Amino acid sequence: MILAAFVLVAAAALAVITLGRTHRQMNSACIAEAAIFLALSGWLILSAQIPVTTLAIGNEFFFIDHLGIYEVLIATIIFLLAAVYARGYVENLIEARELSRGSLKFFYGAWAFLLLVIVLAFFSDNLALFWIFTELTTVISAMLVAILYARDNIDAAIKYIFIASVSMLFSFVGLIFLFEVSRSVVGTGTLNWTVLMQQAGSFPPEMMIAAFALIFIGFAAKSGIFPFHTWLPEAHVRAPSAVSAILSGVLLNVGIYGIIRVFAIVHRTTAVSTVSLLLLVFGLLTVFIAALSMLPQKKLKKLIAFSSIENMGILLIGLAVATPLALFWVLFHVMAHAFTKAGLFFSAGILHRQYHSTLSPDAVDDMRDVFALQPVAAWGIILGGLAITGMPLFPVFLSKFFLLVQLAGFFPVALVILLILLFIAAGAFGYFVIRTFTQVSPAGTLPEMIRYQTPAGMNIPVIVLLVIILILGTVITTGEVAFLDQVIAELMF
Amino acid sequence: MIDPALIQSVIRILFAVVIVTAAYIISTRNLISLVSVYAVQSLTLVFMALALWSLEGVTVLLGIAVVTFVSKVLVIPYFIASIQERIRIRRDIEFHFLSPTTSLLLSMALILFIYIALANILEGTPARESLFFFGAVIGLSLMLMGMMVTFSRKRAITKVLGYLSMENGVLLFGMFVTELPFIIEFLIIIDLVILVILTTILTVGLDSTLEEYHQRLHRFHLVGDTEDGP
Repeated sequence: MILAAFVLVAAAALAVITLGRTHRQMNSACIAEAAIFLALSGWLILSAQIPVTTLAIGNEFFFIDHLGIYEVLIATIIFLLAAVYARGYVENLIEARELSRGSLKFFYGAWAFLLLVIVLAFFSDNLALFWIFTELTTVISAMLVAILYARDNIDAAIKYIFIASVSMLFSFVGLIFLFEVSRSVVGTGTLNWTVLMQQAGSFPPEMMIAAFALIFIGFAAKSGIFPFHTWLPEAHVRAPSAVSAILSGVLLNVGIYGIIRVFAIVHRTTAVSTVSLLLLVFGLLTVFIAALSMLPQKKLKKLIAFSSIENMGILLIGLAVATPLALFWVLFHVMAHAFTKAGLFFSAGILHRQYHSTLSPDAVDDMRDVFALQPVAAWGIILGGLAITGMPLFPVFLSKFFLLVQLAGFFPVALVILLILLFIAAGAFGYFVIRTFTQVSPAGTLPEMIRYQTPAGMNIPVIVLLVIILILGTVITTGEVAFLDQVIAELMF
Repeated sequence: MIDPALIQSVIRILFAVVIVTAAYIISTRNLISLVSVYAVQSLTLVFMALALWSLEGVTVLLGIAVVTFVSKVLVIPYFIASIQERIRIRRDIEFHFLSPTTSLLLSMALILFIYIALANILEGTPARESLFFFGAVIGLSLMLMGMMVTFSRKRAITKVLGYLSMENGVLLFGMFVTELPFIIEFLIIIDLVILVILTTILTVGLDSTLEEYHQRLHRFHLVGDTEDGP
């Protein structure tokens, strides 16, 4: 029943967008959709009915467990803030003639639909169903990247679609393997995650390694893991910043979520040691590539995009450790990264509106007098940068620190390598911020730049996210811990 | 009732047809025939599903045959062909990394590699029977050959055809290795249709609005100049 409510709300939002005449109406529909979704998932958590398996639609395909609702919560919060942010941002895109008013309906329609598809993906019990929703998120989010109708945007979108979809087909072959494994072991094949978890103990390890490796290709491409990460920087840089925040904060999580789910199945078989090694190697390679690519970066959004790749690598390494405590911090890191990264992209969007650097793709970000012109965005980048590199008081510090502690017990050499790479990444971020933000025009030539009047709707999301991550980083409530422990228990770690 | 041995040999012939079509898709430069070859390839899959159905009597196969026929033999090729008419691209002569000859040699090596790899993985499972094992090998090879098309061609529309032929490979693999629920096959078709529509729209956008885009860019700079000016 609850799922029907989600679908109905999304349908209503889509109807308003189709009938809507003004930008304000369409945007409000998206804000309302995300807000109602947030309220629904909040109600689900508080009413403590989770895991919900008795749905009107049939419990064979959908279910709601703690992990699913956790991801949905993160996704809806980011969607809500991004929709608030989008009002001012998109209006300015139209004024700058980067987006035609005719595309608005398409933009917000895809936006509202994307949220629904993501929620359905997180609530899918059937892995094949999850696969299809994930594939749909690729296609729809690629539309949002291509919306700016510049050649580079279309190129980036096409690259994104093909790399992600081709890799996802490998995942599908992996799912066929998994199906065949369960059929040969139990008799009737299934891709139902809850059933697979119960049967997993008797699965043959060789087949499971093959199945996991194939499934991993697709979800790794979705979450920007090396060597399938090449679409990510381009798509994130070209997309409107409100969309970049969603790509980085929500869509990368969809891929990681898939990996976590399938890894939970593998974790119950004897194949787990081989698969852990695979995750560790790919995690380290990903962080390595990301850290080195961050170093020479001269574009803010690209820097932030590579930092996303780095954090996905950290998540993989955390998963590879595969202890309950490591999983706890992986889940915490998913949330911490999503909120921090959304804040960074929102701030970067404000700066790009000020300095108009989106249309000259390869130009260096030339930002001057940042504090005088855009104080909120500047502090958003500085505090967000401190947060994402893992300074204390911020949640990423906690998750990184405890993941490193866990890694020390698992594979000490990897810990040393990872630490060095994290220092490089943090250094790259710091260097960029210090170099860019200290550029001040000499006195007298100051009024060269006209101040972009940032609407309150664009500043507020940045401030809200900064407050959220400060709270997350300093206060850990027992409710939060109990909730995450519940997730770990359901994943049977 | 038709003799099972006959059906099995028919399926073997169909395997050969699939490989030939895949080789053609890899090497041809003519875009119009590319679409018809894709339709032929899908039609081969339809026949294969029908042959398997008469062999095993599983109704899901019949459903797959119908859905594949409608979507991949009729709707998608028609749609792509009509888009091609509109954007007037007849030939895709640009190859990224691989020339057709190297691709063909590479795909032969791929088929051999997959044969050996699958023989190892499927050792001891019931799927290791000759016909079904062969189907799995051909399916995976078709998939990898499609992937080569996707990554070695420059035009988005050829990439789409590579992707579609990859998906045919997955379908073939699924058909022979296991019995997937019908609903899954159906949903994948929906995904395919959306992907095809989207990429072709993007391609049209890429080709037809380039002028307009440059105009916009120009205008934007003009606006920027007056704003930034003293």
